Amino acid sequence: MPSESVLSATEVSKTVDGPDGRLTILDGVSLDVARGASLAIVGASGSGKTTLLGLLAGLDRPSTGSVTLAGQLLDTLDEEARARLRRRLVGFVFQSFHLLPALNAEENVMLPLELEGSSDAASRARDALARVGLDARRHHYPHQLSGGEQQRVALARAFVHGPEVLFADEPTGNLDQRTGAVVSDLLFALNREHGTTLVLVTHDVALAGRCERSLRLVDGRIDRLAAEGRGQALPAERAAGEGRA
Amino acid sequence: MKPLTFAARSLRREFFHGELATLFAALVLAVAALAAVATLASRVERAIVASAAELIGGDLGVSSSRALPPEFTAEAETLGLRHTELADFPSVVFVGDKSRLCDVRAAGRGFPLRGVLAVRDASGPEKNVHEPEAGSVYVDHEVLVALGVGVGASVQVGGREFRLAGEIVRSPDSGNVFRLAPRLVMNYADAESVGLMGPGSRVRHRLLVAGETASVDAFAAWAKPKLPAGAEITTVEDAQQNLRTAFERGESFLRLAALLAALLSGIAVALAAQRFAKRKTEEVALLKCLGASRGEIIAALTLEIALLALPACVIGLALGLGMQEVVIAFARDLLPGATPPLPLGPPLAAFAIGLAVLFGFALPPLLRLRDVEPMRVFRQDLDARPRRFDALYLLPFAVGGALIAIEAGNARLAVTLGAGFLIIALATWLLGFVLLRILRSGGKRLPGALRFGLANLARRRALSLLQAGALALSLTALAVLGVIAPSLLDRWRLELAPDTPNYFMINLQPEQRDSMQQRLAALGATNVGMLPLAVGKLVAINGVAPKADDFEDKRAANWINGEMRLSWSDTLPPANKLKLGRWFDGSETEPSLSVDTMWVDMFHLKLGDTLTLRVGERDITARVASIRGVNWDSFRVNFFLMLDPKTGETLPHSLVTSFHAPAGVSAQLGTLSRDFPNISLVDVNAILDRVRDIVDRVGRAAGWVLAFSVAAGVLVLLAALAATADERRFEIALLRTLGAHARQLSLAVLGEFVALGLLAGLIAAIGAAGIGIALAQGVFKLENYWPPAWPLLSLIAAAAALVAFAGWAGTLRIARTPPMAILRKA
Ligand SMILES: Nc1ncnc2c1ncn2[C@@H]1O[C@H](COP(=O)(O)OP(=O)(O)O)[C@@H](O)[C@H]1O
Ligand SMILES: [Mg+2]
Repeated sequence: MPSESVLSATEVSKTVDGPDGRLTILDGVSLDVARGASLAIVGASGSGKTTLLGLLAGLDRPSTGSVTLAGQLLDTLDEEARARLRRRLVGFVFQSFHLLPALNAEENVMLPLELEGSSDAASRARDALARVGLDARRHHYPHQLSGGEQQRVALARAFVHGPEVLFADEPTGNLDQRTGAVVSDLLFALNREHGTTLVLVTHDVALAGRCERSLRLVDGRIDRLAAEGRGQALPAERAAGEGRA
Repeated sequence: MKPLTFAARSLRREFFHGELATLFAALVLAVAALAAVATLASRVERAIVASAAELIGGDLGVSSSRALPPEFTAEAETLGLRHTELADFPSVVFVGDKSRLCDVRAAGRGFPLRGVLAVRDASGPEKNVHEPEAGSVYVDHEVLVALGVGVGASVQVGGREFRLAGEIVRSPDSGNVFRLAPRLVMNYADAESVGLMGPGSRVRHRLLVAGETASVDAFAAWAKPKLPAGAEITTVEDAQQNLRTAFERGESFLRLAALLAALLSGIAVALAAQRFAKRKTEEVALLKCLGASRGEIIAALTLEIALLALPACVIGLALGLGMQEVVIAFARDLLPGATPPLPLGPPLAAFAIGLAVLFGFALPPLLRLRDVEPMRVFRQDLDARPRRFDALYLLPFAVGGALIAIEAGNARLAVTLGAGFLIIALATWLLGFVLLRILRSGGKRLPGALRFGLANLARRRALSLLQAGALALSLTALAVLGVIAPSLLDRWRLELAPDTPNYFMINLQPEQRDSMQQRLAALGATNVGMLPLAVGKLVAINGVAPKADDFEDKRAANWINGEMRLSWSDTLPPANKLKLGRWFDGSETEPSLSVDTMWVDMFHLKLGDTLTLRVGERDITARVASIRGVNWDSFRVNFFLMLDPKTGETLPHSLVTSFHAPAGVSAQLGTLSRDFPNISLVDVNAILDRVRDIVDRVGRAAGWVLAFSVAAGVLVLLAALAATADERRFEIALLRTLGAHARQLSLAVLGEFVALGLLAGLIAAIGAAGIGIALAQGVFKLENYWPPAWPLLSLIAAAAALVAFAGWAGTLRIARTPPMAILRKA
């Protein structure tokens, strides 16, 4: 097991000022993910999973605490520098796909390459699409694709530039079981091929079970009980994951 | 990222999504309207100027009391202008023992450079001529009558014999009401050699030039700083007050129309951009998430808009120029004579303005996108960022203001429009704010569906206010174009009613009054007005002799050194308005005066001051008893100074008569002037026709603009309503899911839109009326203008109906789609 840490959070908290006063969404979350490892973040809806993911990916700043991504302390970087870091190191998969409706499948996949300034964006995008089995659909626009196909395009987009870390927020949340299974199989396969570090948010126990570790959020805190034996998923979840695999 | 590639790809797909098409259409319209109107106006104006140049015999004149230095002609020569010299002076013509004082014009080679000098010789038919040959002269009919001779006879001027070569039928300066004597035209060289222009003679010299507009302008610019003392430049426009006013009004009308069309387009652009930016928010969040920098995002957005704008401006320009060619082709009489060449300035300006409108109105919402939080990819409600003042939102106001300032070409028009629109925007915002407050608290007792509709307005407060503002402004612009402008134009036409005096008669003696009145009645003349006329000299103001140098207004010299005309009347003459003091009522105990406001300003006068006037041998010291404002373009005889009748009647005087004679009575008028040899008859039909002509052309050109503007207005309406339709999709789907009837939905929507339309319509009607009154007084100088009530009232109803219909139709489409389709998409 690789031991070098690629992503770590120390005592990360997030509070927002709402109409009924200050609301604490995350409270003293610490974690550490080694290069090439996979981590599942589970928890009930509203427990703060997405917020944590956003902080880990540098999309937002924590109220207190710090996040280190690929050796860079994120709080020291401004919005633009964090964007540059993301463009190089990070891939995303979202629950609602988030393909740009104005671009066709191939152009959507080209997007991260073009942001990098890559010169062979089109051919690499085509290869990536072929890898997810959508070579024939590359000129189709998102509205011409089914949900599962859209998510596969999103997977191609997430991996095409070989990111260090992949963040996935409920990647199967909008899909039916069967399609969801196809997408998650593809996700893990790609992850293995690219040796990418994976941070996956889900409330699907089976999906979480396919990760090497999982941690549970309860009301913005890591559930100490569940996280016991750090690096070990809960037995029940592990079982469910194996049942599926 | 390559922003250009990205922008092009986005544009390819998004063009058909609505907002961009609206934006495109708005730009095309703005540029087309501006290009068409500005180009048309400029060409029509040039044509009018050219035809009016006939009135002074050239495009520009430099008049002076001494002959101009030769460098002036040299400069005209260098600029490739045609030029000639004139000299006007009084002199007496003799035949045997008969004589007549004439207003002599010594005409140089080529006179007139513009317009016609037409004479009739003994054989009858009239022909167009230039300056008479050496040794011959042309004279007015009146001179022939007075001297009892015919064409071909020999007359004496300045002690030398001249042959009477023709009777003047038409000459460039016909229409000068106060030419005190009939005209005699002779050759310039003759006048010089006879010594008529020697020292001591009262000669007014004039250099006339004509040629390309640019060269004429260059000449004017060159000449202005070099003018000797007492010299002045006369352009066509200031040759005739009537014409100048007509020019100014006409130009203001056209500019007003084009400006409103551009502003309407600007509002459409702003609304479309607002909606476009809203739809782009998620995309921007995603791009940021994937690591795009703010710079790349702004570049991509700006480029996308620019890619859209350039073809839109080009198409608009082509369309606009095409339109004005079509207009010119179909309405050939819009441009009398040769069609002036296509001017380059107005189309280029239209292009630039199109871009300014686009970026001024579209950039603020787009640039705000740079602040979208990347976290928005997870939480769609994140755009509710704490509000802070963004100076960007001043940009549309700045661009709108600059547009008004540049295009209005007239400070008063600019201020009226700018202030008017600002007040309307503020009023809408305030009123809307208060109404929504009331709705929120008091709307609970309304029936369900209606309550829901109104609650919607209140809930989307910012958007509702924005929409109401855009609607109110665009409806105001439409009302000004569709209701106010035509009614102003009608008022203007009314000033030139069919029986406007087209002849003036001077020198009529008081004892001839009754017989002349009978003769005129027999002729069918109408609107006959007679006023006494005495000629005097200003010798003192408050007992002190005035010196021309004491007054900054250099026109003062004309009256200090020259003669002035006096009249009197029991009643305040038409086209005069009392500003201060009282009109004469016969109770005056000392000589009293009524003075025009221009004179009051020029000579710094006030009520109670005294003026000493010398009439013949007599000095009269009169006290200023009232101050009048005179409408000088009224085609009536008007006077700067009017005496009280008791004093006036004691002065030697003649009568000035103005009347309207029907067409086809020129033969009878000829007999009339033979029977009353002492009178001079001045035909102002030519000027009157030109002014009517201008009103008419402007009216028609404005009609074309109206079409553009209505299109722009409808576009604004659609853009405004499309924005609410977006907002409404989700809640309608939700209501449908909860089981609402289509009828209940329509009622909710109708309630919302009728309220919006009524509010906007009401404000627009009041705003347009206010702007109309301000325009009438400040810009068009039309007195007692009152905006037509019914069209404005129906505007309110029409606005409510139109807005309701458009909103309802837009929503109906949404209501028909299965709710699931929308809910899933959201
Ligand atoms: N910017 C914010 N403003 C207010 N509340 C927020 C904000 N971000 C998250 N929350 C709240 O924090 C809680 C956690 O949200 P989230 O991280 O999306 O949970 P999860 O992804 O586990 O469902 C929720 O109750 C959510 O409403
Ligand atoms: Mg979540």
